[in-house]
Amino acid sequence: MANAQGPETTGTVAPPLPTPRKTGGIGAATPRVDGRAKVTGAARYGSDFFGGPDPAYAFLATSAIARGRITEIDDSDARALPGVIDILTHRNVGDRVKPGKTFSDKGYMGTSIAPLASDRVWHDGQIVAVVVADSYEAARDAARRLRVSYADETPSASFDSPGTETVSAESKSKEGEKAGQEKPKVGDAPRAFEAAPVKIDQHYETPTQHHNPIELFTTTCAWDGDQLTVWESSQNVYGYQNGLAEQLGLEPSQIRVVSPFIGGAFGSRGSLTQRTALIALASKRIGRPVVLEATRQQGFTIATYRAETRHRIRLGADQSGKLTALIHEGWEVTSRKDEYKVAGTDASTRLYACPNIDSDVSIVHADRNTPGFMRSPPEVPYLFALESAMDELAYAAKIDPVELRRINDTDREPIKGLPYTSRSLMKCFDTAGQAFGWSRRSAQPGSMRDGDWMIGWGCASTMYPTQVGPAAARVTLRPDGAVRVQTAAHDIGTGAYTVIAQTAADRLGVPLDKVHVELGDTALPPAPVAGGSNTTASVCNVVAKACDEIRRKLAAAVTVSGGPLDGADPGRITLINASVMDDQGRMASLKDAVAKTGHGAVEAYAENIPHGAPPTAMQNLYKGQSALAGGAKLKDRIQFAFGAQFVEVRINARTREIRAPRIVGAYAGGTIVNPLTAKSQLMGGQIWGVSSALHEATEIDRRFARYYNDDLAEYLIPVNADITEVQTIFVPEEDHQVNELGIKGLGELGNVGLNAAVANAVFHATGVRIRKLPIRIESVLDAPVPT
Amino acid sequence: MVELKVNGAVRQVDAAPETPLLYVLREDLQLNGAKFGCGLGQCGACTVAIDGAPAFSCLLPVGLLAGREITTVEGLGSPDKPGPLQQAFIDEQAAQCGYCIAGMVMRAHTLLARNPSPTDDEILEHMSPNLCRCGAHMRIVAAIRRASSRKEASRSQRGAL
Ligand code: FES
Ligand code: FES
Repeated sequence: MANAQGPETTGTVAPPLPTPRKTGGIGAATPRVDGRAKVTGAARYGSDFFGGPDPAYAFLATSAIARGRITEIDDSDARALPGVIDILTHRNVGDRVKPGKTFSDKGYMGTSIAPLASDRVWHDGQIVAVVVADSYEAARDAARRLRVSYADETPSASFDSPGTETVSAESKSKEGEKAGQEKPKVGDAPRAFEAAPVKIDQHYETPTQHHNPIELFTTTCAWDGDQLTVWESSQNVYGYQNGLAEQLGLEPSQIRVVSPFIGGAFGSRGSLTQRTALIALASKRIGRPVVLEATRQQGFTIATYRAETRHRIRLGADQSGKLTALIHEGWEVTSRKDEYKVAGTDASTRLYACPNIDSDVSIVHADRNTPGFMRSPPEVPYLFALESAMDELAYAAKIDPVELRRINDTDREPIKGLPYTSRSLMKCFDTAGQAFGWSRRSAQPGSMRDGDWMIGWGCASTMYPTQVGPAAARVTLRPDGAVRVQTAAHDIGTGAYTVIAQTAADRLGVPLDKVHVELGDTALPPAPVAGGSNTTASVCNVVAKACDEIRRKLAAAVTVSGGPLDGADPGRITLINASVMDDQGRMASLKDAVAKTGHGAVEAYAENIPHGAPPTAMQNLYKGQSALAGGAKLKDRIQFAFGAQFVEVRINARTREIRAPRIVGAYAGGTIVNPLTAKSQLMGGQIWGVSSALHEATEIDRRFARYYNDDLAEYLIPVNADITEVQTIFVPEEDHQVNELGIKGLGELGNVGLNAAVANAVFHATGVRIRKLPIRIESVLDAPVPT
Repeated sequence: MVELKVNGAVRQVDAAPETPLLYVLREDLQLNGAKFGCGLGQCGACTVAIDGAPAFSCLLPVGLLAGREITTVEGLGSPDKPGPLQQAFIDEQAAQCGYCIAGMVMRAHTLLARNPSPTDDEILEHMSPNLCRCGAHMRIVAAIRRASSRKEASRSQRGAL
């Protein structure tokens, strides 16, 4: 089952992919089962549902200040506009909608700032009113005619702003066992650092970034009596259902959340935003379905984002490059009200062997909307710092950066000495390094040149925790071999539909096109949030379990005396070629086997609680709480996926234009259920990594604590022309400790570390070390041109 | 009432002439293929072909479109019978979340209709108004190349830099 395929390249010169096998179980390079629906316009996303034939439209009015109070809302002009039906403000909403608890507080919300609960304004762009009208245009026009008066106070925008409040992340932890909040520490790092012959002590900085999925943040709500249906693209339908129930004072069973296709998410749709309950309330008040299509600009403030971070890293090493001390301090911005943090020291202190480690994370409260998960939330900023510092150490110790990683490789994590279930870091470095041609690199910065272009080659490690969540699935097998799989997992572009179908096809011995998968609906059995790269592992394992239950039922039926496989050992019955087979090779048709059970179809419902999750995990999952287990949180072992990132940058000596023409990565993620979808995930991650290093940053007007490049013309992301060659290589890896199928998950592995690899390449090209992202022309203007 | 010619069929729509074509397609005609990603001409998710030229349907008032040929992604094929360009997108696994894909397919369609064997640079240049956030870039370009009548891959000059 391990994926044994060799390097794959997709470059501008690469040949087209070989035509993949038409049917395929686990490990087969099967084209996406939902590909047809997606390329013909048939796939329906959250924003494609209008709730009925005659919906009303909502438009949000958002605050013009970042801190203060609303003193007056004059809605007379707005109400006078033809078609306007209702206007929600804090005066008529108040406590009709409860704020709800945040995700990190074991709740469901991305923020506890309830926008229409009171006159208080907590951040720029906070919802201050919801206007509902017969048409989108009327609602928008009316929203702009609202006259909102404020008593404003000076806001604190970010780091270094007067009025921010800095607190230790640890002191904020309410329970010691709360995930990821204990400070990783071992030995005496300050002393070891003092004594180290080779030292690095540097500060690093990462910017604010927004997910910007191409599908906007939309919500459609409709009521049928006391039953509410919500169509909204979501990574967590059960979480939304339970969170809304709490906010609106309903039973979860009164709410159905539907999200069959999701137009990009990247973490932005994992926790419930405050808009959804407001639209549900609006729909209730007017007795009509209500559709909200928030604007691109509003998406910057009504949902979450990746907050800016700062780091100080101290590394001490002996002359051979062996680490003797590692101290990672992090600072993260959050909102005034919430304690959201990513605390990536959990990962950054576990990457290399080191006897003396210390870490500390502080959060800085500012007048901003609450940040949240964005693709590899902790690892992207924290490994930028660590992997940049490792490159600096390599130069200080005069050791090749790849060799420095080899010298500090380990099969046990350094804090508690727990064994890694598997760790293929150096195999990844060797594989990717070879594909990249690393051995041809001349170490001296500024020594590689191609005409006007200064060339730099850089590398970095990537790691991502292997996490598995509790999950449930129902599988039905009909006598003609048709299979239906139902689970409220989410396909956010990852290929979940496809890998789940492959798993069922594999276990039930039917062709892939006989398997129909239903996802993204609270009417189905629950699955965890599509976050933390857990879906493939969590859901494929439970689907396999349900399929095995079906096999047992069929085996029991066919092996009874007088049955078609009378006398065979039921434990040795397999399902293959749409038939039931015993270990002698005797076959019975599915039709006969199902008939023998006395049922019209065979159905199984299965639940799976992963290693390390509490026994109550399934009950909690039905309440919308995913409780992922794994990574560095287990008591007996540590489980991470690893990879190696290599980048070539070219910087024009005259214009200082920076390009990244070659991106090469090798990754080990245990069982690869589908090399095509897995590769898309990793390749997308690599492109995210380069984007994060060279393009993306949300700019903040510090006087007003306001984002000012809040659309897709000003917030830079790469287009096709920016990406010329990406190589994505799988390193075969078997790990049957992580879960039965050996799946590690890799949706977030591809982008981690790449920002450091780019910065390291820029140093190699120019001799200038950039410790603040993104790296743009202005960052390298002063770089000397090597002669 | 506005009369529109969409995917070869004449449709009567009860919409004010200044209504963007995108809204009419999605809400009145139930053609959900064209997507709403910004409404500002910044993302390309809403791209359709008007008389064979690519256009942002979010910026195009229906009142201007009388007598013009409007083609949406639904006009190129169906799930049961995808067109050749759509098939190339399937074969190259170009869709990830898929939200940008209808727009990508339509913009590529207008290129191949006028230039059946574009170079890589022509493809990259032509596709630059459309954004993909999933990072499906390599595969989108590969799909367009596969659907073109170009026989061998020509290396992009940009890539060689
Ligand atoms: S929706 Fe038309 S360009 Fe974005
Ligand atoms: S496939 Fe998701 S935006 Fe392109």
